Amino acid sequence: MLSTVPTVLADVRYFEPWWIQILKGIVIFAVGLQLVPIVLLAERKLLGRFQQRYGPNRVGPFGAIQPLADILKLLTKEQFRPRTSIGWLFALAPIVSIITAVAAFAIIPFGNTVDIFGTRVGLYGVDVSIGPLYLFAFGAVAFYGIMLGGWASGSKYSFLGAMRAAAQLISYEVSQGLALIGVVMTAGTLSLTGIVEAQQGMWYIVPQAVGFIVFLVASFAETNRAPFDLVEADAELVGGYNTEYGGGRFASYFFAEYLNVLVVSGVVTTVFLGGWLLPFGIDPPTWVDPFVVLAKMSIFVLFFIWVRATLPRLRYDQLMSLGWKILLPLATLNALVTAILVVVTH
Amino acid sequence: MAELFFFIAGIGAIAGAVGVVTLRNPFYCVLALVSHLLSLAALFLLLRAEFVAAAQVIVYAGAVMVLYVFVVAYIGGGEQPALRPPVGRGQRMIAGLCTLGLFAELMVATLGSGLKAIDSEGAPYRPGFGSPAQIGELLLTKFLLPFELASFLLLIAAVGAVVLARRRGGVGEAGDERRMSALEFARGPAPLGVGSMAEAAGDIPGGVDAESSGSVSSTIGERGGW
Repeated sequence: MLSTVPTVLADVRYFEPWWIQILKGIVIFAVGLQLVPIVLLAERKLLGRFQQRYGPNRVGPFGAIQPLADILKLLTKEQFRPRTSIGWLFALAPIVSIITAVAAFAIIPFGNTVDIFGTRVGLYGVDVSIGPLYLFAFGAVAFYGIMLGGWASGSKYSFLGAMRAAAQLISYEVSQGLALIGVVMTAGTLSLTGIVEAQQGMWYIVPQAVGFIVFLVASFAETNRAPFDLVEADAELVGGYNTEYGGGRFASYFFAEYLNVLVVSGVVTTVFLGGWLLPFGIDPPTWVDPFVVLAKMSIFVLFFIWVRATLPRLRYDQLMSLGWKILLPLATLNALVTAILVVVTH
Repeated sequence: MAELFFFIAGIGAIAGAVGVVTLRNPFYCVLALVSHLLSLAALFLLLRAEFVAAAQVIVYAGAVMVLYVFVVAYIGGGEQPALRPPVGRGQRMIAGLCTLGLFAELMVATLGSGLKAIDSEGAPYRPGFGSPAQIGELLLTKFLLPFELASFLLLIAAVGAVVLARRRGGVGEAGDERRMSALEFARGPAPLGVGSMAEAAGDIPGGVDAESSGSVSSTIGERGGW
């Protein structure tokens, strides 16, 4: 039975043997899991500096194991739920969030196919033929994680947060998708490794600058990060959709949010910054590739933190205006102009 | 392996479909529909139609059902009495007959063609089948007219929705529209009645005066209060 599956899946570019795929899954998940506390610490440290304080500095050297202490604290807490909540949905929602975040992490390519133990291994979870659509599909399911959590909590703050999430997701997913169309048309492929390969001469951040900006802004909204964090606006909604969550379930939501930040950084890196490619024709050995991707990703993670420390939160009507009246026309125009240019230059 | 996934997805699809019509709470009905659509996407995936599967999840589970969830969560309370419209005997008879007819038709189709296919291997898989490139080519060559007609229909529906919303006062008057234009938004003035700082300080003419605050409270009243 297992021998037939790889041959079937070979058509869709799963050419590795099954044991490599399992190994790869574990390694990628482990890397994602390790990156989250690092992002967490970087965010708290940097936010501290931005606000002229030190940030965490008590646990471990320079506060370096503060995230671990936080996670341990959360995981050992009691699992409580409000009396008005709906039990099974309340428990299911964070799981949906975390599953979709991890699944989306699988498509980020950390390098091209390499030879390990005599077999060809792609340095990515999957290289699907539908590329970015895979990301959007899991983004769509991720919405249910937030929505169900907010609704099943049986509290008005959670509910309002979930409702905002619904409106925000619909508004910005469209711009995000349209912004990528320009890249897909220029590269002529949907495969993310193909898109990276197509950036050999020039990274797409130059010809697709508009698409890059629209995608980046929309990504802030999709990941519910400041200045679009109305979903969990703590000044008005206590904690938004996760108000009633505590302990391990809250940790799951938290983990999913930061993993989503990493996923978005990875996608921007892949699609607009040339993935594992280095500028000026520098061609390092293959083992450097994942570190190049991680370095580029960290630039965007730092940018996310910087923006959070700098910009105030948008009001709800401003969020909608920005999404529908500025980003969407810009993205459409970008796609149109790119289409014309592609046709003319071919 | 494929058979196992097929049965999981198939049972999920049927259970979801049954749940949509049998569950009482409208929110659970919508969730059942979502699980049904996700199971369908899994079935598409088993048929190697990756693009269709992704489109199914993005469009239906992602966009359409989000709107359903939105509406049901807002207005569909669980305490409403179960929908039991007065149905006459004649109508029930007709419904029963239609159901029987449909059942017979489906049985004929299934027994006539489907059962024979069980023993066969099925159509061979051609590389590239169902890929976005192939689907796009078909949509722009063979199915150009239906494709354009469908998109035109969607456009009409979208325009119609805006017109209807405007007629019922949902979008707001022309003045409100002007104030919210993209350029003005970039410059940053707020619409009236949102409690901005400038409004409270009286920087916006007509910000805190009786007329505007009256209109604000009246709109809130129309919405049924907070």
